[in-house]
Amino acid sequence: MTSSDRPRPPFDRRQFLRRSSAFGAAGLSLPALLAACGGDDDEGASTGATGGTDETTGATSPGTGGASSPGGTGGDELFFENWPEYIDLTEDGATGTVDRFTEATGVAMRYTDAFNDNVEYFALIQPALGSGETIEPDIIAPTSWLAGRLITLGWVDKLPLDQVPNAANLRPDLQQPAWDPTGEYSLPWQTGLTGIAYNLDATGRELTRTEDLFDPAFRGKIGMLTEMRDTIGLILQHLGVDPSTITSFDEAAEAFEMLAQAKADGQIRAFTGNDYLDDLSTGNFAACIGWSGDVVQLALENPAVRFIIPEEGGNSWADTMVMPKGADSRDAAAEWMNFVYDPVQAAQITAYVQFVSPVAGVREEVAKLDPELAESPLLFPDEEMLSNVKGFANLGEDVEAEFDAAFSDIIGA
Amino acid sequence: MSAADAEHDREPARASTHRDELVGLVALIAAGVLIAAVGMRLLTGPLATLAVAGLLAIVATLVVMAIAGGPQARRRLAPYGLLKPGILWLALFYLAPLFTLARESLSTLPSRFAVQAEFDWSIGNYTQAFRDFGPQFTRGFAYAAAATVLCIAIGYPLAYVIAFRGGRWRNLLLGLVVLPFFTSYLIRTIAWSSLLADSGPIVGAIDGLRLTSVFEALQIMDNDRLINTPAAVIGGLTYNFLPFMILPIYVSLEKINPALVEAAKDLYSPAPSAFRRIVLPLSLPGVFAGTLLTFIPAAGDFINAEYLGNPNTTMIGNSIQDQFLVQNDRPLAAAMSFVLMAVITVAVFVYTKFLGTEELS
Repeated sequence: MTSSDRPRPPFDRRQFLRRSSAFGAAGLSLPALLAACGGDDDEGASTGATGGTDETTGATSPGTGGASSPGGTGGDELFFENWPEYIDLTEDGATGTVDRFTEATGVAMRYTDAFNDNVEYFALIQPALGSGETIEPDIIAPTSWLAGRLITLGWVDKLPLDQVPNAANLRPDLQQPAWDPTGEYSLPWQTGLTGIAYNLDATGRELTRTEDLFDPAFRGKIGMLTEMRDTIGLILQHLGVDPSTITSFDEAAEAFEMLAQAKADGQIRAFTGNDYLDDLSTGNFAACIGWSGDVVQLALENPAVRFIIPEEGGNSWADTMVMPKGADSRDAAAEWMNFVYDPVQAAQITAYVQFVSPVAGVREEVAKLDPELAESPLLFPDEEMLSNVKGFANLGEDVEAEFDAAFSDIIGA
Repeated sequence: MSAADAEHDREPARASTHRDELVGLVALIAAGVLIAAVGMRLLTGPLATLAVAGLLAIVATLVVMAIAGGPQARRRLAPYGLLKPGILWLALFYLAPLFTLARESLSTLPSRFAVQAEFDWSIGNYTQAFRDFGPQFTRGFAYAAAATVLCIAIGYPLAYVIAFRGGRWRNLLLGLVVLPFFTSYLIRTIAWSSLLADSGPIVGAIDGLRLTSVFEALQIMDNDRLINTPAAVIGGLTYNFLPFMILPIYVSLEKINPALVEAAKDLYSPAPSAFRRIVLPLSLPGVFAGTLLTFIPAAGDFINAEYLGNPNTTMIGNSIQDQFLVQNDRPLAAAMSFVLMAVITVAVFVYTKFLGTEELS
């Protein structure tokens, strides 16, 4: 039988392959795949999030990222998700305070540093918390404004403060702050300063002002933060506007224009979260906006890296510990908070991370560890330093939406 | 036996052929619809369980029919059985998400931090996608097109040499082409970012050779840097998708009978003309397939622009990723995905129309 005797199929194979490959391939582009995954995102999030409830039945829940705790016992394990470079590490890379805590209290703890960016992290937890499900971590470390948003949305539980006697050590200026007016939902983890970090090898000169970030000589070598309040806050002060008192978008519009112009000119190499440190260290960023302790830590490894509070003024901020709605391990969380609010323990963290501790009495303890460190204005800001840094105003919800939209228009893809 | 008897005998056979094929086709469609409906969440809870049970029943019935029906029935049912895994897979993992996505793209978020969008036939997401993301769409397609052209320029000669001059090294050379796939896509791109870093070896070498100004004039470098430039993004895309261009071109070149070229030379055709009139036309199907495999995924790529680009080189893939995962505006992201798919589909149709392979081979 020759091929011509065979019944002819409705369309020939080559035609079929070509058409179907054209269609199939069109559908296979990456965003389409991504989009398809996105459609079922809440499904995935809930699977990951139910880990918390599993623990009551004694089943171990698979973690979403990072280190497993020493001798994790599943049921009672406390899970703290924090920012990178934000706790003291021992020589071999273990988290010192976590180890001391487990030793002192017998509570197993899992500590991860997956928190890179407030907006990203919010997007990560939003599907679960927004539909009334729980997420895995018992304590998370949002910056104050995000803590405020989570409190307003009702997505966090009150802290078991009656079991945290050391909470009395909280610095007076941080009690009942604007983001948490009753002070029942959050305890600051660290506070700190935003200023300018630069790599002397790449700049070739010392920097002193925010204006230096806009120097055309550094075109394409400047990094800015995806954290709106830090980036816009610095630019506002450069323009002579006090970010702690603004109430409307109009007051900040000029800063947004300046940022948009710098981006359009190719001045800005990238907008980053906490991952700016690599680019700063390698010199890809000649200069960037950075957080005091991070950069001071990095400067210990790379002497070319410097940190300054610009002459026009820097920002101050606070990162908090909050408990996402439905977090179990409340007793363990209380023990942890009590532990890190003990000035002796807090001093260990401060001496390592080099941020401004929210715990009163830390300075004396740090002085015992390293007298020179206790004199650093970046760790223990003096009057002069404090007069030169500003917080960011607590924006109303509608105003915040306006700021966020304008900012993501500039930095967003 | 008379001719009339034979005719009489064939009648019922044809009828049963018809019936079997109809049963096979209906079963296939029913199974596809059931699984897609479950995937689209049109059927939930007990209904979904019922649908899956129905699906299994259909498959089981067909198997029983095929076994009981004898070789004739088996042969007629076989194509539908063989199509089933593919159809069901696509119905669940392609059609159902596509439907969900279409629905999402016509929805509105009731409030700023809402998780569930409400379906209300709003086309606002589409107008916003066009209004706000024009430059990203343009860049996405421009970079993908540039990378595709570069892939052809690099890949064609390489495939040619492997196919015609590779000799016994052919398989080794092909293996080397595929070798980069042994490493993850992401890792390869991040490797580029450290190779091209300002203090990295390549910038150092260019600097050492005093070629910086040449590269700047060619717009490959910008203020002494290679990375975080459009050139780096296009380069990364080219590198990552090159094997998808080389392999189809190689396959089509390898099939060409060398005697054809010899024949041309016997007829006094100079080598370039033999290439242009024989080898090139015969290899165009490979170029066509390679172009589709390169351009389409490259147009939606976001990894290269993320790691090798700057805030002014974001591609549409980055915007979609940002809207989906950072801004959590899924309706807008879904609309942008649909616009991207529509544009790519149209582009592919136009391309097929002008460069379709059917007439060539």
